[in-house]
Amino acid sequence: MRRALRLFLPLTAVAATLVTAMVAAPSSFRLRGPITVEDAMATIQNTAVIVSLLAIWMFAAVGFTLLSGREIRYSSLEMRASALHCFALGLVAVTSFVLTAIVFSYLIPYHVGVPLLFALGVIAILTKIYGTIAVFHAVGMLVAGTRTREQLARRRWLRGDLAMVVVGVIVLGALRLIPIVGPIIWALASVFGIGTALATKFGRREPWFLAWRAVES
Amino acid sequence: MTQEACQRYMEDPEADPRHVETCAECRAVTAALEAKADVDHAPISLDALPLAPWEGSSHRAWPLVLGAAAIVVAIALALCDAAGLSPLHVAESSLASIDARRGLLRSASDWLRGAPAMWQAAFGLAFVVVNALLVVLLRRAPKGIDA
Repeated sequence: MRRALRLFLPLTAVAATLVTAMVAAPSSFRLRGPITVEDAMATIQNTAVIVSLLAIWMFAAVGFTLLSGREIRYSSLEMRASALHCFALGLVAVTSFVLTAIVFSYLIPYHVGVPLLFALGVIAILTKIYGTIAVFHAVGMLVAGTRTREQLARRRWLRGDLAMVVVGVIVLGALRLIPIVGPIIWALASVFGIGTALATKFGRREPWFLAWRAVES
Repeated sequence: MTQEACQRYMEDPEADPRHVETCAECRAVTAALEAKADVDHAPISLDALPLAPWEGSSHRAWPLVLGAAAIVVAIALALCDAAGLSPLHVAESSLASIDARRGLLRSASDWLRGAPAMWQAAFGLAFVVVNALLVVLLRRAPKGIDA
């Protein structure tokens, strides 16, 4: 709980400072001038879309965790054990997806590009969804995970993979609502997630490539 | 004792644990192995061990999950109502962002098709380098402990 507070308090302070600065700053300091009724309406619409997508993410996260909680947990562990590797792999994988998609688009006139592009899109979307749910789990574990058995025994609700994923969705979703910073945090989380999904082969603990060994006589 | 019984015991000591009581040879081998392995029979204090990641992970906190989902859905519906949006509009806006990305992809491939040979070669080189780097990074074994 104290650890959760240690993380929550600075984040809340930063978020509150940013929101207060944006709302309460004199109009001359604002990037886009004074807020009009249209601006306010657009902000509400934007927030409505974000929260609706967050609800969809929550249902997807709960469904995935019920189906393959062990794999999600393993990926989340890997993310915390080697965060830098997951991030680097995520960056390279996103770049690879984009370059490969351009190459497949280039091949569309030759008819082979369409199925390849469709397969790449499916793989990319599945990787992003799985990885983001693993990030939710990792964030939930960082914020509200148990450290001792006494803590685990005391808790009635705030334990288990499902609860950690839900906590992660709420924390990352709250951060997503912060203007400018939120989308950046969400994009970084996606990169982390894609890297983790690929690093752990979707939590299956299998190598991507078989190692060649000469037969010993 | 027969050689076969001894062989069976050596292969699977759990299958016939009483064999060791009747066979002096196997008893001697077992005693030697235990002495060599230096097995510590001291009781293990479970509480002294660190908490494993899988402990308590199968617990399903349905009240928390359902409560959080209900709150998020209620906030989303309230905001959609205030903004005059329908859930269909949310789906449309998501599809619009996918369409925008598809448009970017199409324009990039069109640019590549009309680009000079030098640029096309540079793109091909970047494609090979990035994918080779991806393969190198994927070859590394995961570090995470048992889940």
